[in-house]
Amino acid sequence: AAMRSRAEVDATLQTAKLNPAELLPAVHCLSFGPQAGGGECCLLQLEPGLCAELEAGRSLVIRGEKDEQAVLCSKDKTYDMKIADTSNMLLFMPGCKTPEELNADPAFCNIFHSQIAGFSNNYWELRRCRPKLKKLRKLLMEDPYEGPDSQNDQNLTFSKYTTEDLLSLIQASEEEILHQLQVIDACKIEGYWRILEFDYEMKLLNHVTQLIDSESWPLSKVPLCACLEELGSLEPKEMIEHILLSYGRKYVDDAGEVYFEMNEDKICRAIAQMLLQNAVKFNLSEFEEVWQQSVPEGMKTRLDQLQGLALVDKSSRPETIFLLKVEDLPEDNQERFNSLFGIREKWTEVDITPYIKDLCAEKQTVGALLTKYARSSMLNGVKVYNSRRPIS
Amino acid sequence: LSRSGGTGTLAQWVLVELQGEVEPRESGSLAGSLLGDLHYTCEGVPVLIVGHHILYGKVVQLEKPFAVLVKQGGAPQPGPGGPHGHYTVTALIKTKLLFKTRPKPIITHVPKKV
Repeated sequence: AAMRSRAEVDATLQTAKLNPAELLPAVHCLSFGPQAGGGECCLLQLEPGLCAELEAGRSLVIRGEKDEQAVLCSKDKTYDMKIADTSNMLLFMPGCKTPEELNADPAFCNIFHSQIAGFSNNYWELRRCRPKLKKLRKLLMEDPYEGPDSQNDQNLTFSKYTTEDLLSLIQASEEEILHQLQVIDACKIEGYWRILEFDYEMKLLNHVTQLIDSESWPLSKVPLCACLEELGSLEPKEMIEHILLSYGRKYVDDAGEVYFEMNEDKICRAIAQMLLQNAVKFNLSEFEEVWQQSVPEGMKTRLDQLQGLALVDKSSRPETIFLLKVEDLPEDNQERFNSLFGIREKWTEVDITPYIKDLCAEKQTVGALLTKYARSSMLNGVKVYNSRRPIS
Repeated sequence: LSRSGGTGTLAQWVLVELQGEVEPRESGSLAGSLLGDLHYTCEGVPVLIVGHHILYGKVVQLEKPFAVLVKQGGAPQPGPGGPHGHYTVTALIKTKLLFKTRPKPIITHVPKKV
């Protein structure tokens, strides 16, 4: 289209009965650019902090496979994406000056021929969400590491994942993924992230606890060097160090020696899992006895060490205990509650908390979740929660 | 899988928000066609003349800025799950010109010849 001239602009002002004296001298003649109708551009509304990240040159990534709801990830946060419709028309204008900018420079008294780059009546809205990390464990469990002697490891690499692989498959930010890898005690073997197969992990742990026992080391001061020396002939040194890191806290003393303070709760918990996974359920008192006898000398077992791992049934006679791992339950809030109420009709807050606290959003409490997804009632003077829906 | 990154400083664009829909005068594409003249009063009030209408608006600093994403190649098809494909952040928008008042029609008694 022909560009408008000053004469045409002034004529329009006159027809509109606008007084040029009341207007700034500059005018923008707006037209639609060549790409305008193409739908190539879209708008993304930025949550606090994201704008600064983009301006600092950092990237945002949209992640999600065809069957997944897309999420947006910054370096350390994950956001759900949702289309928001507006009844208005939004036009995107590059190079359009604001009154401040025009006033700042008296030289701006021209005609700006501004092209509209695109337009839309909707935009993407972001809402911070929990990173979708359940898939991470699922991927790593496809091929758990069973030790150097295992035959499996020689063959296939297609079910093994590098950091890059995980970044492209998991709907979470890089920092959230790396943090979760640490939480689940994954380790890097030959460039691939691996989870240890449980029996192998217990085998390694057993080597260490037996050595601690035979050397009479205090549980808070287990020397790395000696462990590697004594156990290095039995297992790869990286694996020995890995098990110490998984079940202990690393520190360096004044002399520069590396020690581990063993995590009593975590060790007791692992041994409980080893015992519980062998049957559907156990007589509670029998289990507690065997469990205490199975843990290393000097460690004390307590039922609260098993939160999110096992559930006690106080209504059965005798009381029983069975394995119920929170990581085996659904990730979606409603599905998680459905699953829990399917296992047990009524829950006390104390019992259900370990199985729902990972669902809490940034500032959400367990109480808020219960209010939303459950209904409360009193049972024998105790407050219990059950499903909002009728159980079929 | 999509990625957005900035090379150098990001351009700052402005959003113009209008009520209703924008349609081409003749049936045809919008590309290249004129929308109107944008003036500001001395007090900084934006005035948009579109066809036979005057629209008065205001300059709004956006509480939540926008990023403009441009799709790189391929069909621009946002699927049910969300945007898929390769995107780049082309610009940031921190300011919008909001035209919400009903347009005032321009009443002409006699067409003026220029």
